Amino acid sequence: MGNEAIARGAVEGGIALASGYPGTPSSEIGNTFARVAKQLGIHFEWSANEKVALEVAFGASMVGQRAICSMKHVGVNVALDILNAITLRGVKGGLVLVSTDDPSQHSSRTEQDNRWLGRHNDVPILEPSSPQEAKDLTRYALELSEQVKLPVMIRTVTRLSHMRSDVELGEIQRLDRSPAFDWEGFSYRIAGFDKLFRRHRERHGKIDSVQEMFEDSGFNELKLDGEERIGVIGVGFAITYVRDALEYLGVEDRVAWLKLVTTHPMPERLVARLIESVDTVLIAEEVDPFIELHVKALAKDVNPDVKILGRMNGFIPREGELSHEVIDARIAELTGVELAPEARGDLEEAKGDLLFDRMLTMCAGCPHRSTIYALKKAVQAVKGDLMNVVVNGDIGCYGLAHAPPMEFEDTYFCMGASIGVSQGMQRFGVDAIAWIGDGTFFHAGIPALQNAVHNKAPIKVVVADNQAVAMTGFQTNPQLGRTATGDQVDPIMIEDIARASGVKHVEVVDPYDLDAAEEAFKRMLGFDGVAMVIARRECAMVAVRNMRPERPPVYYVDQEACVGCKQCLNTYGCPALMWSEDERRASIDTTLCMGCTSCAQVCPVDAIHRGGDA
Amino acid sequence: MKTFKAVISGVGGQGTLLASRLLAEASINAGLHVKIGETYGMAQRGGPVMGHIQIGGAAHNPQIRKGEADVLVGFEPAEAVRRGVTYLKDGGLALVNTRVTAPVEVVSGMLPYPDTGELMGLLGKVTDRIVAFDATSLAEEAGDPIATNVVMLGALTESKELPFSEETMLSTLRDSIRPQFLELNMRAFDLGRNAYRAHQVWR
Repeated sequence: MGNEAIARGAVEGGIALASGYPGTPSSEIGNTFARVAKQLGIHFEWSANEKVALEVAFGASMVGQRAICSMKHVGVNVALDILNAITLRGVKGGLVLVSTDDPSQHSSRTEQDNRWLGRHNDVPILEPSSPQEAKDLTRYALELSEQVKLPVMIRTVTRLSHMRSDVELGEIQRLDRSPAFDWEGFSYRIAGFDKLFRRHRERHGKIDSVQEMFEDSGFNELKLDGEERIGVIGVGFAITYVRDALEYLGVEDRVAWLKLVTTHPMPERLVARLIESVDTVLIAEEVDPFIELHVKALAKDVNPDVKILGRMNGFIPREGELSHEVIDARIAELTGVELAPEARGDLEEAKGDLLFDRMLTMCAGCPHRSTIYALKKAVQAVKGDLMNVVVNGDIGCYGLAHAPPMEFEDTYFCMGASIGVSQGMQRFGVDAIAWIGDGTFFHAGIPALQNAVHNKAPIKVVVADNQAVAMTGFQTNPQLGRTATGDQVDPIMIEDIARASGVKHVEVVDPYDLDAAEEAFKRMLGFDGVAMVIARRECAMVAVRNMRPERPPVYYVDQEACVGCKQCLNTYGCPALMWSEDERRASIDTTLCMGCTSCAQVCPVDAIHRGGDA
Repeated sequence: MKTFKAVISGVGGQGTLLASRLLAEASINAGLHVKIGETYGMAQRGGPVMGHIQIGGAAHNPQIRKGEADVLVGFEPAEAVRRGVTYLKDGGLALVNTRVTAPVEVVSGMLPYPDTGELMGLLGKVTDRIVAFDATSLAEEAGDPIATNVVMLGALTESKELPFSEETMLSTLRDSIRPQFLELNMRAFDLGRNAYRAHQVWR
């Protein structure tokens, strides 16, 4: 997998430390380190958030160690403050930042293109086009970083991070450097303040030297025999669509192409060789016109008449990831090749009429569903109407509370925002509930909570505590009592943090006890001041996994007792519940049910029971 | 060699990603180049999952063009149709698990689940080679519904469409599956093979 290849490249590059924060599509990088770190004698950690992760990696660099830090694209927003400081101050041990971008936002709230953030800070950027290249580039990036004393960004897209292929491995390198703080490089005491501060010009010198190196980089590839009138620049993974299209359309001889992997600083002389030689240049990249803009500027000097096509003029759609359909069609248009018409339009239409979209939902037995169910009942009872509060959600599985049949979440924005935005609403008398998970609370919820207490914003906070960072695949957080590599440590409990932060009303409740949870939420809503309820119950997927090889206890709907009111389906809506239109009765799918008992509590006629040994 | 192209489709949590990974490992064990592209997003939460698998050949991108897949491995009837209609080549082989995984729209009563006959009828306009069976029941029979993916792999192996031997698939399974679950998975694999052999072609 592309992500695994990055981890392998880092190990081949001799890292002593890896850090990160989970988030799709980056998580498998850290998951891989978590598996192998101990065996290889390197330190790996899931850090509290992306900023901390990058700071930890920078600290290792300052004492001479090579380090890598991985995160999803929006994570770099969080880490940007320290990234800027690192680029001005420089690095000692090679330092690589992996940003996994998500064109078409398969699992993100944005498809932001982090190459701008790299450029914004004079960070060299490398964009692999295959898992093999991802591995090789990561190793190279560590060396480059150390050589030019800048952090280097490996920028991937989801399709590469989640792509599997065979990869040729290299040697694992163990540098075993003795740790030594670089006093001359980083210490105000030794090097002096004046030498270390105001280094913008130095940073420019470094990035210019990288541009020179990229002019001859073997990772780029130019196919040009001088006769072609059309050239295509495929940036990083986008080159794969381009080369497949040229072959598919049979126009390989007529079209020049450049695979551009070293995207910032762009090697201008290399790119100039292509644009000087052709009449038309197509630029395929994801997702913004990052190279295209630069090519336009360069063309003014080297070939002002060349026609430049890409995202900026909408020749390629301005949003979204690339596809065979898009690139095949664009290159066909440029080369005058006739593409076969869409053959299955009618079938696709019939399919659209027949099929549902399959919305995301919480898993069978998910404790968050029980929490939301109880919270809704409490709000109805205390506030009289569900619309009398705004529910500000946060990032994680529990963010699916907006989906039917729960439909009890109004907003979610970014990690930890639920607690902050709630305060601005509460300030003006709009009652707000912050709905945040345990992992997210540790990431960015704590300063916001302290802000609420300090500035007297009497918001209500519900922590959906499933004892897991479930959405990204069960990484660790500080409450779990174990590290990413399995060491036992003292857990840091959310209730202790809340109380220490001055929250006067804190309760912990088991959401599988729906009545007890509802009562706890009522007390929270009635409290005058900041109040928190922690709904704590292990993630259902973890619970089922831990039962193996045993299967969960079986629950069933007594078909005699069921009155067909559908309350379990319409108000609770666990995916393990089924409805038979013929029988007008509910039933339970025993392959999905994990025995949480919630639906049995929801049923108004007591028709749901635990099975015997049958 | 000609590139072998398969699309795997299902719902998050069904083990489709592991099935893809096992096919990748088997390909490497057989000395073949392999490229797999996964589409899953937040699919652990019941969303659609799709894997594109290309074994052999020289494609650069793992995505398969529309209408070019040799085989569709559908872990769920609606998902089989969703991807099969788009990606399966005319006359390609469709392996379909008939066990329904209802989406939340159906569970909460907003929509009915489409009629299975209508679903297969639509897929039938692409191919007459539809082998449909309840793979989840077979996995339960083997000991755990989670082994549905290995049942499907058993059927796929028995179809002889894969560009490597049955022995390669089996040794890959033996190397990749934890010992305490191996026996269960081998039973699941055999039940999948038998199901294909019984060849309940959808009519």
